[in-house]
Amino acid sequence: MNHRNMGDPLTTRAAKQRRNRAWLRWVPAVAAPAVIAAGVLVGSIPARAGDALADKTPADVLALLAGHNAHTFSGTIEQASELGLPELPATGPSSGAASDDPAASAIEMLTGEHTARVFMDGKAKVRIQVVDRFAERNIIRRDNDVWFYSSKDNSTAHLTLPAHARDLPLEDPALPGTSPESATPEGSMVPPTPQDLAAKFLAKADSTTAVSVGPDVQVAGRAAYNLVLEPRTGGTLVGMIAIAVDGETGMPLSVEVTARGAGEPAFRTGFTSLSLDAPDAALFNFVPPPGSTVEELQFQHPAHPSTGPGVPGYPGAHTDPEQLAAGIKDKAGSYLAGTGWETVVELPAESGAGAKLGTALAQNPLLSQAAVVVPGGRLLSSALFNVLLTDDGRVFAGMVPADRLQATSSAP
Amino acid sequence: MSAVAGPRGAGMSLLLSEIAVLFRRRRTWALLLALAAIPVLIAVAVRVSSAVPPGRGPAFLDRITQNGLFVAFTAMLVSVPLFLPLTVGVVAGDTIAGEANLGTLRYLLVAPAGRVRLLLVKYAGALAFCLAAPLTVALAGAAIGAALFPVGPVTLLSGDVIEPPEAVLRLLLISAYLAVSLAGLSAIGLFLSTLTVVPVGAMAATVVLSVVSQVLDQLPQLEWLHPWLFSHYWLGFGDLLRQPVLWDSFASNALLQAGYVAVFGALAYGRFVTKDVLS
Repeated sequence: MNHRNMGDPLTTRAAKQRRNRAWLRWVPAVAAPAVIAAGVLVGSIPARAGDALADKTPADVLALLAGHNAHTFSGTIEQASELGLPELPATGPSSGAASDDPAASAIEMLTGEHTARVFMDGKAKVRIQVVDRFAERNIIRRDNDVWFYSSKDNSTAHLTLPAHARDLPLEDPALPGTSPESATPEGSMVPPTPQDLAAKFLAKADSTTAVSVGPDVQVAGRAAYNLVLEPRTGGTLVGMIAIAVDGETGMPLSVEVTARGAGEPAFRTGFTSLSLDAPDAALFNFVPPPGSTVEELQFQHPAHPSTGPGVPGYPGAHTDPEQLAAGIKDKAGSYLAGTGWETVVELPAESGAGAKLGTALAQNPLLSQAAVVVPGGRLLSSALFNVLLTDDGRVFAGMVPADRLQATSSAP
Repeated sequence: MSAVAGPRGAGMSLLLSEIAVLFRRRRTWALLLALAAIPVLIAVAVRVSSAVPPGRGPAFLDRITQNGLFVAFTAMLVSVPLFLPLTVGVVAGDTIAGEANLGTLRYLLVAPAGRVRLLLVKYAGALAFCLAAPLTVALAGAAIGAALFPVGPVTLLSGDVIEPPEAVLRLLLISAYLAVSLAGLSAIGLFLSTLTVVPVGAMAATVVLSVVSQVLDQLPQLEWLHPWLFSHYWLGFGDLLRQPVLWDSFASNALLQAGYVAVFGALAYGRFVTKDVLS
């Protein structure tokens, strides 16, 4: 308020009146932030569903989830993780470095935040767009044709699925890491969708897991059951997994993974918007843009994982270590210790995985900083999983504490 | 201003004369010309140099040789962090302080216009410049690109291809996005302009704030603050180059800018109507 004229002998009654009313003029300046703050507060309170969902037992929700048949939708998925891994620089307007080596690309997908748009019209028409700043990575499938496009270097890759794979979903949750998707060229990786993750974690939901249904949640404006999986063993880093199951369709809408003893989820992926209408058919017609280099990829059937559709030389072509572990599980020479949540995967030195991972670590300064030297090797540690690279070239990975990996590695 | 016109007509004619004065000023022309020089510089540099490998320099730079329309996209990307806020800061910081400095403010207030209306008219003038500035970059970029390079279908970030007319439509959309982006900064400039009679002070403070906001947006330690910074969505216009267009950032940006306009508009109102106008 202005008191510059205070004490001025010429102060008139009108001026005094004006000054007395002056505080009124500041009311909007106080009200505007107050209204905004109130709006934010109201917006942050989760909206209650109009109708509460009917109570269901965990078994009912599991059945609803297993029977879900929503394969036609368009939506936006956001993924956020705080695993304690170094955040690789987000793909900015000029940075192409993050995708230059596949291991870094995999880590990039695991850390920080990512947004992807997913369009599906039945299982055979899919388009996934990973939204980066001034860049985009696309996977488009239309029946037997699968296109990969990266705007960063204007590169296209094409894969023709054989006729018998016509009805094969692009991302078959039953074959993690072995879907044709893992044949993506470097830099074209997509974050796992809630469907992928839900399927993967449900596969573990056996007697070693306590399954319960928590209070209903709201995801992407839809009321959903909150299916909670808790490992019964203390030998894993995973404390709790919450899967939001759409009350109407049974579709998994979000997956949250919380580390043991942590309050906030270390990893979260879920829809922020979802529409069950069929997307525009033109979205699935992809023609390589002019000037783009097109690379033809060879399809290898996922039923023969030993011949491996996983891209040789690209150990990071799997989006998470769980998937990595599952993907290499069947390959000759790998070895598993422990069961269920305590599974430890070992890759022997002959597989060359250790050497590749070692190279990736050596090449990426951020990664090599994150890998701590421990007795017997180097350890890449995060809130939900650990990877141990032994001095003799073997790799151990699992969602278990680091000492468990070390014990396994030193066991005869 | 016609004396017989009602208060509404008076406001309208005040607005028109404000916009006419603004765009007749030599300084406004100089600012717009400086903005138009950005795409020209980029286009000439690319024309005389060897091919740009993909992934180097700002996004789209490598596409320019194949398609001149990308000059406009690149120039807009380049001008967002500094040049656009700089020019808008000059115009918005000058709104009230400039009149006060010239000694014309009290004459404006003697007219039946009233302080609120004057404030609104001044802000509308600044908004007109916010619209003109990115449009200048876009049109100059498209023109110089068409002059120096072939023009053809434009590849969007999603890999889909659109024809040149639709590409021009997207350019206009991006201009609108940037105009909205600069509305909040203009409101801040308007408020700062009511605090002082030295226009350069208000201009500099506005530009400095835009830089500070962008620096804060880069600090991961302040992640909680990022969605509240008025510059947070400035580079989000890339979402208009996807197929289908991703409107999320446009909506978030508009909401954020509306908040800034409300807060700083109210502050400017509080300051300006209680201020003793001495010059």
